[in-house]
Amino acid sequence: MSQSSKRIRYVLKRLLQAIPIILAIVVLNFFLLQLAEGDAVDVLAGEAGSATPEYMAELRAKFGLDQPLIVQLGVYLKNVVMLDLGYSFRHEMPVSQLVFDRFIPTLILMSSTIVIAVGFGIILGLIAATGLNTWRDTAISVFALITYATPLFWVGLMLIVVFSLNLGWFPTSGMENFAMFYSGWDRVVDIAHHLVLPTITLSLFYLALYTRLMRASVLEQQGEDYVTTARAKGLTERRIVFVHVLRNALLPVVTMAGVQVGALIGGSVIVESVFAWPGLGMLAFEALFSRDLNLLLGIFLLSASLVVAVNLVVDIIYSLLDPRIEVS
Amino acid sequence: MKIKTLLVNMTCALGLALAGSASAQEEGGNFVYLVQPEPPSLASFLSTSGPIGLVAPKIYEGLLDYDNDLNIVPALAESYEVSEDGKTVTFKIREGVTWHDGEPFTSEDVAFSIMEILKKVHPRGPASFAEVTSVDTPDDTTAIFNLENPAPYMLRALSGYESPMVPKHLLEGTDPRNSDLATNPVGTGPYVFEEWKKGQYILLTKNENYWKEGLPYLDRVVARFVPDASTRTAAMENGEVMYGAYGAIPNIDAVRLREMDGFSVSTDGYAMINPMALVEFNSTREPFDKPEVRKAISLAIDRNFLIDNIWFGYGKAATSALSSNFSATGLYKAEPEAYPESPDVDAAIALLDEAGVTPGDDGVRIKATLDLIPYGEDWRRAGEYMKQALMPLGIEIELRYEDVPTWLKRVYQDYDFDMTMNYFYQLPDPVLGVHRHYATSQIRQGTHFVNSSQYSNPELDELLAAATTEADADKRAEIYGQVQDILAEDMPVMNLFEMEFLNVFNDKLHGHDASALGAYGSFDQVWIEK
Repeated sequence: MSQSSKRIRYVLKRLLQAIPIILAIVVLNFFLLQLAEGDAVDVLAGEAGSATPEYMAELRAKFGLDQPLIVQLGVYLKNVVMLDLGYSFRHEMPVSQLVFDRFIPTLILMSSTIVIAVGFGIILGLIAATGLNTWRDTAISVFALITYATPLFWVGLMLIVVFSLNLGWFPTSGMENFAMFYSGWDRVVDIAHHLVLPTITLSLFYLALYTRLMRASVLEQQGEDYVTTARAKGLTERRIVFVHVLRNALLPVVTMAGVQVGALIGGSVIVESVFAWPGLGMLAFEALFSRDLNLLLGIFLLSASLVVAVNLVVDIIYSLLDPRIEVS
Repeated sequence: MKIKTLLVNMTCALGLALAGSASAQEEGGNFVYLVQPEPPSLASFLSTSGPIGLVAPKIYEGLLDYDNDLNIVPALAESYEVSEDGKTVTFKIREGVTWHDGEPFTSEDVAFSIMEILKKVHPRGPASFAEVTSVDTPDDTTAIFNLENPAPYMLRALSGYESPMVPKHLLEGTDPRNSDLATNPVGTGPYVFEEWKKGQYILLTKNENYWKEGLPYLDRVVARFVPDASTRTAAMENGEVMYGAYGAIPNIDAVRLREMDGFSVSTDGYAMINPMALVEFNSTREPFDKPEVRKAISLAIDRNFLIDNIWFGYGKAATSALSSNFSATGLYKAEPEAYPESPDVDAAIALLDEAGVTPGDDGVRIKATLDLIPYGEDWRRAGEYMKQALMPLGIEIELRYEDVPTWLKRVYQDYDFDMTMNYFYQLPDPVLGVHRHYATSQIRQGTHFVNSSQYSNPELDELLAAATTEADADKRAEIYGQVQDILAEDMPVMNLFEMEFLNVFNDKLHGHDASALGAYGSFDQVWIEK
């Protein structure tokens, strides 16, 4: 069997395995969410000011909350299998539409963050490791330590104070300047302009992690026999690092990046809140406090699928980076 | 005066409004203001939720409006007339008004809005229009409200925020609770709904066919959602937003912006809302079933300390069950004995002794939990103050801070609390906002923001019923005097202070304070200085 058809078979098998995992996640989340006191009707009625018990009972019937739990779960699972994520009664909108609208901004923020954090992390880690115990190494390590230890919301607010309020380079918040009605490239540039501060904030935290990881990984690889061999062959130090060490040292970093994609969706609540970035994290946060179960389950389902997909991609990247790791 | 007639001439009022602020206004521009949190929907006919009130009244209008001195100003009704016995109110409906979809607005819409929508599905509508038995529509411009009993408070509940007029042709025959209007509103107001980007903003555009000549000035109005309070302040400072009300900018930042060039802070526009910070006691639980205990706690609290140190000086110490704002209608009566100017710990201790609540071996008389309304840090700090302030009385307080649904269920469904800190809107008339605290009929398990104290006093019930239907202002004031006396003695709810919410705005903004409703108004006269 050729390498590529083997790979396709592998992907299909992994996808099939993912289905029960995702369903299990949905069921587990469903029951976990039942532990919270109060329901969506309590919140809606509370916000409305005053509502009669009859009205609330009517709402519960409309939302299906008066049914036994197991029936509610059954209905939900049936819908999910038919790719219907249900209806958010709070937002008066289908969950799929809500989630999709908010998924795009999350994706933009997440991808730019991963690219910056992993990219710069690798570079800084490499610089630190190749200049072990020099001032470069120390400076980078201190920088990593500080950014890792600083709370995200504080970094965000400080960036706003410096770059928005004092220097006026970037807008304080939001994803685009909607009052301007940009379209085409102007809109892309406008969104990129708004993206800078949130991306820097979120990247700084993860950057530290990847820098440390890369540094350790490079140091470990440099002690390997093949490096000694390469050096004995008379290869330049530059060639050894970029051709031999780098590739091997990347593996742990890629693993970590895969694991953290999931965390990034949840972890960006703070950044989304500080910069009013209309992403999934904020949506999930609000959905939890308004007990909007359908919406929450929809978000969990999406992030679970995303994590599964990313892990699959990571496994494939492995085999590209290191052909010794076979897909099977 | 044989027939009591109240006529308001709109042409005159509008003429004055235009003449008073002539020439200065500038046309056009985009007005971005803060709304926090994002509203769940724009169905103001279903929910009186605060964020909905910040947006929906720009789209929907009411029959009447109210100026800053709380005088009635005509809106969709050109004038009205109350019959001598107070049981018939005739509204003359404005001609030539159209819905945003082009259909004409008529008295049929009024009758439908009142009878089918507000009376049936609005949270406060059943109380506001309790006495309305039918609405007759002899022609397109006349709506006659037939009342069971006189309802003087009703005329205070006809603003676009409190009782929006909704389009009959879009709602008739549908389930109003499940209507498309919730996310795609169609009204008669100065701004037309354009777009709602969830998590970002709601965009409204100018109503070119608005019935007020020459209004509105703005091209677009944008309600922006920014979850983080510090970022909201930064956005205001940076000129990205121009207006924030109802605590959108926290007091701590508002006092800083107040000192800066280009920004101002005001407390106008809340007189129709009348927010009151308070503590509800569970009067079915020992020892809070004893009026002396409740009153002792009131005596020991330094209300001005709360206002000065936690709310940065914005607020006014409560002096009765009713807000002092009701002195405008003559209903307010001060109760200095139960609401002393400065705390009186000795008197409080004497009251506790009298009630037989004595200290145990450890010096503690009462151990209780104080629930805090989960609406932000200020309430937590207020709780911490209460804990300290009650210590000298031998009352040991444990604070509990939960999320909104949990807290609502605990207080209004399970009645599983000792005391809870909260705030209520007293609204423009006690019938609308205050009776729900105290009437026996308002002990409604599962309904939020009613009589959670489960306080029941037949004598008070009678007075409240009498005050509801009393048309004579002096007699009404007398009844409320007695009501306040009883409540000062029994104190099932301890008022803390009359809250003053803040409007923070950019100095280039004008005309946002045209109505008594403030941020819940229509913004029809707002304009921006270039």
